[in-house]
Amino acid sequence: MTSLSIFLQTLVGGIGIGSLYALVALGYSMIYRSMGLVNFAHGSIYMIGTYFGIIWYRGMVMGLQVPYPIAFVIGILLNALLGLFLERLFRPLAHLDLMLMLLGTIGLGYVLDNLAVIIWGAEGFAVKSPLPNEPIVIGGVALLPQMLLLIVVSALLMIGLNVFLARSKMGKAMRAAAQDRETASAMGIPVNTTNALVFAIGAGLAAAAGILAAPIVYVNPAMSAAVGLKGFAAFILGGAGSIPGAIVGGLVFGVLEALSAGFVSSQYTKGIAFVVMILVLMIKPAGIVGEVTVDKV
Amino acid sequence: MKNRSRMLKWILLAVGALVLLAYPLIAPNRYTVHIVNMAGIWILMSLGLNLAMGYCGQINLALGAFWGVGAYTAALLSTRFGVPIWINLPLGMALAGLTGALIALPMLKVRSHYLALVTIGLAETINIIMVNETWLTEGPLGISGIPMPNLFGIAFDGAERFFYIILFFVVLGFLVARQIVNHRIGRAFIAIRDDETAARAMGVNVAFYQVLANAIAGVYCGVAGVLYAHMSTYISPDIFEFKNALFVLTMTMVGGMGSLAGSIVGGLALPLTQEWLRAIKHWQLVGFGLAIIIVVLFMPGGVVGLTQKIEQAGGIRLPWMRKPAEDKPQMEEPNVA
Repeated sequence: MTSLSIFLQTLVGGIGIGSLYALVALGYSMIYRSMGLVNFAHGSIYMIGTYFGIIWYRGMVMGLQVPYPIAFVIGILLNALLGLFLERLFRPLAHLDLMLMLLGTIGLGYVLDNLAVIIWGAEGFAVKSPLPNEPIVIGGVALLPQMLLLIVVSALLMIGLNVFLARSKMGKAMRAAAQDRETASAMGIPVNTTNALVFAIGAGLAAAAGILAAPIVYVNPAMSAAVGLKGFAAFILGGAGSIPGAIVGGLVFGVLEALSAGFVSSQYTKGIAFVVMILVLMIKPAGIVGEVTVDKV
Repeated sequence: MKNRSRMLKWILLAVGALVLLAYPLIAPNRYTVHIVNMAGIWILMSLGLNLAMGYCGQINLALGAFWGVGAYTAALLSTRFGVPIWINLPLGMALAGLTGALIALPMLKVRSHYLALVTIGLAETINIIMVNETWLTEGPLGISGIPMPNLFGIAFDGAERFFYIILFFVVLGFLVARQIVNHRIGRAFIAIRDDETAARAMGVNVAFYQVLANAIAGVYCGVAGVLYAHMSTYISPDIFEFKNALFVLTMTMVGGMGSLAGSIVGGLALPLTQEWLRAIKHWQLVGFGLAIIIVVLFMPGGVVGLTQKIEQAGGIRLPWMRKPAEDKPQMEEPNVA
């Protein structure tokens, strides 16, 4: 293998895992810009969403074995429903100052994480990919079909989200509510409803990310902390509240991790990614794309 | 009246001190002593966090790292060079304090939720170093065989005797923290927390005090770390992970952020409740999470804040509460006839 193809290989792996972070970061970002809530429980929502899909695929619900695409859709819908319910719980938290918000959302994360352990056990399991396990080789770069699926579906979801926000009436209402809550509600936009939908979309995206990545990573309740933290890092890195920021942040963080694992030290992957992130924030305190100012209630 | 309440206060204090001193003798078994010792360690860390976060308004989620720096200093020096605890203590404090000051540097530039992330990131990085630099830290296996201390010819082996070392440092830590709060430093902290711009305008060197606040938090956690290493005789990197920083944050919030008594209340209440509910395992953690949410939504000042509220609402003053700043003349009830 030439050094160029090794580099490309690493890059593609980074983009794959970066898509996962980006989808999680989008949830953070959408909730932040519409409610002003920094939701530290989003990692737990991601983990629950993964289980919501994978339990059907693995036949853990009444022995029903459901095909992967259907499990994928069920998981997203169930998690979106959970998001609608959680928005109601989180609503009072959005009015508090950061320290209390931090603690309140962490508390909710605690509850979700431990309920998951009670229901599904702490051990976790590996998930078999619905696609063949032979890597596809394109131009010297070997790619697992599941990784390709993750990248492609994530990209489609991100494009879909952007189109939805830019074109549809509901998407426009969401953007309006995020920009100026008072005026939006004066114009007849039901702000609480749009917030609930934003929460549902965030949860749905997190579930999608989790179910797509499940055959690549290992599924257990502890993954909420690891991916939650990285998704949060991506959200901050790109610029809190910015939709393109979350995507850029996720991809940059994923690629950074992969490159440092491939070329510097595999043990220090996480450390290097964090150090670079801290440096970026010191140079550009509002993130790569820039923070979207939030109209807090 | 005034004399009586003061006497009551002293009696309560004396009884409390007596119970504390006798605790290892009256405790049902060694394990219960160990749990209280551990609570003492949590209280020390909570005091440090309270000074940095409750008084100076600096979000700091890197406590686990400071704690770990203190513990590893003591563990390495004592197992490799046979250094005794009373030399490890100042060294551990200095190193952890330095770590605190270093972590504070990005804080000067980065704010709010960005800051929360930066402190988490730095703490994670320090934890990764503990796991990977095996030549120094023995890696994930941890360091065992840390000796229990021997001071003035007395071997502090066993939880019962170690209890007195912990008690000494908790009392000392509390008194020092109270001095800091009442001192010019404490006033500068509070000014920065309440309004940074105003504090700067009044001539407070904001950057200096922010670094100082975090260095102090580091020193407190350093003491906790050295004591922990010598108490448990074994340490490993997973003890100093992020979840324990969260635990300290939670107990401080439950007790009362911005009140030193809150650190004591929270530092005792949470570990003991956790121990009490250990049998129901994960349901216990669910309850824990719910308790946090209730505190956040309904009593943001923590337990201490709540007692103050009760005091204000009902005019009840419990003996341990400080008397009001000045005796305001009682307003007469307006006569609405």
